[in-house]
Amino acid sequence: MLRDITIGQYIPGESALHKLDPRTKLIAVVLYMVGLFMANNWQGYLFVTLVTLGILFLSQIPLLIILRGIKPLMIIITLTVGLHIFLTKGGVLLWEWGIFHIYENGLRQGIFMALRLVYLVVITSLLTLTTTPIVLTDGLERILRALFVPIAHELAMIMTIAIRFIPTLIEETDKIMKAQMARGADFDTGGLLQRAKSLIPLLVPLFLNSFRRADDLALAMEARCYRGGEKRTRMRQLAMGGRDILAFVTIGLFMLISILMRS
Amino acid sequence: MPIRLEKVNYTYQPNSPFQSEALHDIDLVIREGDFVGLIGHTGSGKSTLAQHFNGLLKPTGGRVFVDDWEITAKNAPLKKIREKVGLVFQYPEHQLFEDTVYQEIAFGVKNLGLAKELIEKRVRKALEMVHLPYEDYCNASPFALSGGEKRRVAIASVLAMEPTYLILDEPMAGLDPRGRREIMEQIKELHEAGLTVILISHSMDDVAQLTKRLIVMHQGRIVFDDDTRHVFTHYARLQELGLDIPTVTKLVLALRSKGWKLREDIFTVEEAKEEILKALREESKQC
Repeated sequence: MLRDITIGQYIPGESALHKLDPRTKLIAVVLYMVGLFMANNWQGYLFVTLVTLGILFLSQIPLLIILRGIKPLMIIITLTVGLHIFLTKGGVLLWEWGIFHIYENGLRQGIFMALRLVYLVVITSLLTLTTTPIVLTDGLERILRALFVPIAHELAMIMTIAIRFIPTLIEETDKIMKAQMARGADFDTGGLLQRAKSLIPLLVPLFLNSFRRADDLALAMEARCYRGGEKRTRMRQLAMGGRDILAFVTIGLFMLISILMRS
Repeated sequence: MPIRLEKVNYTYQPNSPFQSEALHDIDLVIREGDFVGLIGHTGSGKSTLAQHFNGLLKPTGGRVFVDDWEITAKNAPLKKIREKVGLVFQYPEHQLFEDTVYQEIAFGVKNLGLAKELIEKRVRKALEMVHLPYEDYCNASPFALSGGEKRRVAIASVLAMEPTYLILDEPMAGLDPRGRREIMEQIKELHEAGLTVILISHSMDDVAQLTKRLIVMHQGRIVFDDDTRHVFTHYARLQELGLDIPTVTKLVLALRSKGWKLREDIFTVEEAKEEILKALREESKQC
């Protein structure tokens, strides 16, 4: 069950998207979002859909994995769509039942919102699916430094470590849960209070192990003479190429067209 | 009543690029009273297999029976099964969380709905089984104990459920020689007291000393399932699988290759001593 979580997952590949510089991808995601949020009519959304499908195709990531990433968000999406459909007024009244009304504008707004959320998740998950966490934070560090953020390296390092330990923690949670179940713990019956209480045997060992692990990691880093970002050189230097320029041009055009199509 | 596995298959993360088959067509019967060693390389599937014995994992194909209960059935009484089949995970001391040793051991038992006196009786008995005096330990914090003691507390917390089967996943890993010896002695006693024990390990020396039956796993399949003594005679194949043979057996084999006349199915120090002395006597007779 816990293994289904795909945040920060990376799928190795050789696609054009995989080969892009992480900085390009990070900036492109921001530009894409601007373009996405500019769309406010059918033509605009059709355009965004086509471009998104194009990017998906370029990434060569199986559609199934993308869909699995959207699945946990179904509740939020349904809720947002529901609220928009029922609460937005205006246009022709399409359907009525008691106090519930669906207007044309509401339906339109609902569909747009759903598309917006789905595309947002798809593109951001594509970013992590095609970029290794290390390279991603490397790119982030360079961008932050270019923006004169003072502790760019430390922030990036914190992120790297956090991302690195997501799968480890998931695995550990799974293991501790099983171990407690093996000695008689009960995680899925009882009322709300009972269930909250039953999390103690899970959380206490999890925290303890995390602290121990953090301690070990700090020690290991110090043993290898880690002392922050000062004068730090890199084995693999990031370098932008023609591919990145092409990506910037494409995504810039996408944003412009999307803005121009606004009504 | 036995634990029975029929054509059990297990795949991690099916239908994803990370899909990996951990178990392949496992047929296995563990009878009550057995003392089974489960041995294999890291990633051979031995821990995955162990989690099938008490329903923590459900096979992606095949069926598992504990007594008359089918774990794979929809409404399997999993709690009953887990009471019957105790599983001690690797590094069980990492799962401790209570304030006192008493609370720690009573944790699972409390969920059984027993009276207070009965719970205390079980805790007392479980602590006794791992040789920790009740009076000295019941109010101690489990986090203040030594590594070996912590592990024994964790094992006791499973024993307090009074299982028929006890599965131990690498119970000796990471302990000092004294801790290892103590745990080993206690496992032996537990089996003598009537528990069916399944010992997972990758140390041949440990299983050679303790178990009667040995299951060797490799890449999700059972390679050998036989008398421990018998399995070790296939030393060439075992070494091919990256598994070691007991140190004493290695010595005996080395001596044989130098021309000593020794039996090859030797895996305890005692036996080796007898055999070497016998060979020496024969030699002196011939002179």
